[in-house]
Amino acid sequence: MNATLYKLIAAVAKEIRVILRDREALLILFVMPVTFVLIMSLALQDAFSERAGIRFPLLIVDHDHGVIGDQIIQHFEHDNAFSVTRLRATPGETALPSAERVQEDLRSGRYKFAIIVPAGASRAAARRMDQQLGLTAAGKSPAAAVDIRLLADPTLRRDHRGLVISGLNRVLQGIESGMLLARYTQMTQRVRAMGAALRAPAKTTSTFADITDAADGGAQNGASRPDPVPTSVQQNAPAWTLLAMFFLVIPLSVTLIKERQQGSLMRLQSMAVPPWVLLAGKTVPYFIINQIQVLLILLVGMTLLPHLGGDALHIGHAPGAIALLSMAASLAAIGFGLLVATFARTPEQATTFGATSVLIFAALGGVMVPKLVMPPLLQQISNVSPLSWGLEGFLDIFVRAGGVREILPEFLQLLGFAAACMAIAVVRFGHGLRHN
Amino acid sequence: MSDANIVEVTGLTKTYPGMARPAVDGIDLAIPQGRLFGLLGPNGAGKTTFLSMLCGLLAPSAGTLRVLGRDIRQQAQAVKRDLGLVPQELALYPSLSARENLIFFGRMQGLRGGALHARVAACLEIAGLADVGERRADTFSGGLKRRLNLVIGLVHEPRLLVLDEPTVGIDPQSRHFIHETLRRLNRAGMSIIYTTHYMEEVESLCDELAIIDHGKIIAQGSVDTLLQQHQDGAIEIRTQQAMPAAVQAQVRALPHTQAVAVEDQNLFLKSQQPESTLRSVLALLQQEHIGVASVSMGAIHLEEVFLSLTGTRLRD
Repeated sequence: MNATLYKLIAAVAKEIRVILRDREALLILFVMPVTFVLIMSLALQDAFSERAGIRFPLLIVDHDHGVIGDQIIQHFEHDNAFSVTRLRATPGETALPSAERVQEDLRSGRYKFAIIVPAGASRAAARRMDQQLGLTAAGKSPAAAVDIRLLADPTLRRDHRGLVISGLNRVLQGIESGMLLARYTQMTQRVRAMGAALRAPAKTTSTFADITDAADGGAQNGASRPDPVPTSVQQNAPAWTLLAMFFLVIPLSVTLIKERQQGSLMRLQSMAVPPWVLLAGKTVPYFIINQIQVLLILLVGMTLLPHLGGDALHIGHAPGAIALLSMAASLAAIGFGLLVATFARTPEQATTFGATSVLIFAALGGVMVPKLVMPPLLQQISNVSPLSWGLEGFLDIFVRAGGVREILPEFLQLLGFAAACMAIAVVRFGHGLRHN
Repeated sequence: MSDANIVEVTGLTKTYPGMARPAVDGIDLAIPQGRLFGLLGPNGAGKTTFLSMLCGLLAPSAGTLRVLGRDIRQQAQAVKRDLGLVPQELALYPSLSARENLIFFGRMQGLRGGALHARVAACLEIAGLADVGERRADTFSGGLKRRLNLVIGLVHEPRLLVLDEPTVGIDPQSRHFIHETLRRLNRAGMSIIYTTHYMEEVESLCDELAIIDHGKIIAQGSVDTLLQQHQDGAIEIRTQQAMPAAVQAQVRALPHTQAVAVEDQNLFLKSQQPESTLRSVLALLQQEHIGVASVSMGAIHLEEVFLSLTGTRLRD
């Protein structure tokens, strides 16, 4: 075996042996993240289920008993995002609840949304349509747009309300199109019977109904469907894995500082060992540890968590992308650890600064509080955190079905961060040696 | 340049960036092969910087440095293979056993297989650690750790062993053990460079020494030669009580006095006319009612050599 490779293997084996005998380091590196993933995934399961849009309870109060009420009920009953309770003004039905009563039900959490279709909505819509097409007698007062009210749990996010509004829009546009088609068919038949040609109007200027979003206080149109939302374990498993990976900053920097203080680094440098072997001997074990951390937590998320009542972790279909991202995140963490080691003078300084900086990166990066609930400004600020890059990359793979191409920006950001940290560390390392 | 010299240094200088004064300032030194050579100097004198250059850890700013017949700048890796360093600190891994430490450092020196294990066993034997070789180093006493620290530097059988204050903070028994081991290794042909600020160690252990201060070699030769060179005019007086500062000032002001140092109740001075100076000092002490416990002339140690050369005590 090549002499340099032999020395590298010896250095890596020694470092692994030293780490395995450090119980505190093992607790930080393995037990802490697994525990956090289990606790946080289970604790936040319900909160994430709601965001993942599993099924929102929806109340539809139909005072109309016409085509609009029918089609709204039909549409939402076929949408898996909602479990619909419908109340209709049929002859056998008791009195329908008032808007105030519906609001109370929303506040109590019984329903997340309520749609109130006013009485006579379908007749009013038809009348308005006829007026717009010039089919009613002149001199009649213009028909008002039908006011369909949407009430929502005030704690729900705007994009979830948008989900309902966009559904309503689609229903109403469908009804409008159907009515228009019916009117034109009738007119065409009449005109043909008279032996004349018909020109269609240039455009219809307005819909026949407005949707009043009670929570927003105004009309909404065309809200888009929100991005896919991670499950609790899809958010927490990569988040706490990344935190654990970056926590190697503490053992890595402390061991480097101790070796510098204890003279073993000096002793090794006095031997015929290339400097890169010393550096690689120190960092390769932590790289291996990082990969074991990722594998361990993925396995816990996929196999153990479901047995504890949580959702199983779905990791997408791009294991290569996961491996690449995991390696880049590990290099970033190791680079940061080396950087801390060269700036800190004592193990205590390294521990304090390392832990604090990693926790700040984690808080900013959406580890403790998911980015999707952060205000927009903080979401922008969070982009400075390498943990945010890593987390977004994992979410690209797990939630957005991304592959290598999709994670490339985050992968390059992490590699760039690693390269910058390592370059500064190497310069500082050499400077420190000259002054020891 | 001679093949008989294991270290040859000419005009060796090291100036750290941003520092006005060189840490090592134009040293010229030749250490013959097979010697147990002492490098003596106070903290901050430049000993560690000199050793760092000697071991290829620091690049000299100027001058030439040949170790084991090779230029350290051009053949550092070759020099390192035949050189063993024992740092002042306990440069070992506390969570590894004594044997595991030796195996690791042996592998980093390129040893493997049977040769490695034979050397590990020999080193454990030398250090008297054969019975506790499987114990973790952090369970050892300070003295045992020092012994392990020493033999790690021997694992690859270097031709030149460099020790940087290897006995700091250990008990007399362990110090004696280390000294005996070094004498034995030296008798077996190993060249040794031993840095310390303990004068007594150099006097009892080394056959040749250099004194370094402010980055310069201020004296070099055998211990006996240096003592003989500086014993003329040396006076040591032990008083019965501490000497007030005003009296010390009066002693310093006496004519023909070259160097004065006071430590506790010991007064050391050098004079060009020692008999006359002694009479003046005794008269002054009598006048100030300070009793004299003992007086000696011409019998000195390295401590006084250093004082006569620098005007200060080594431990100052």
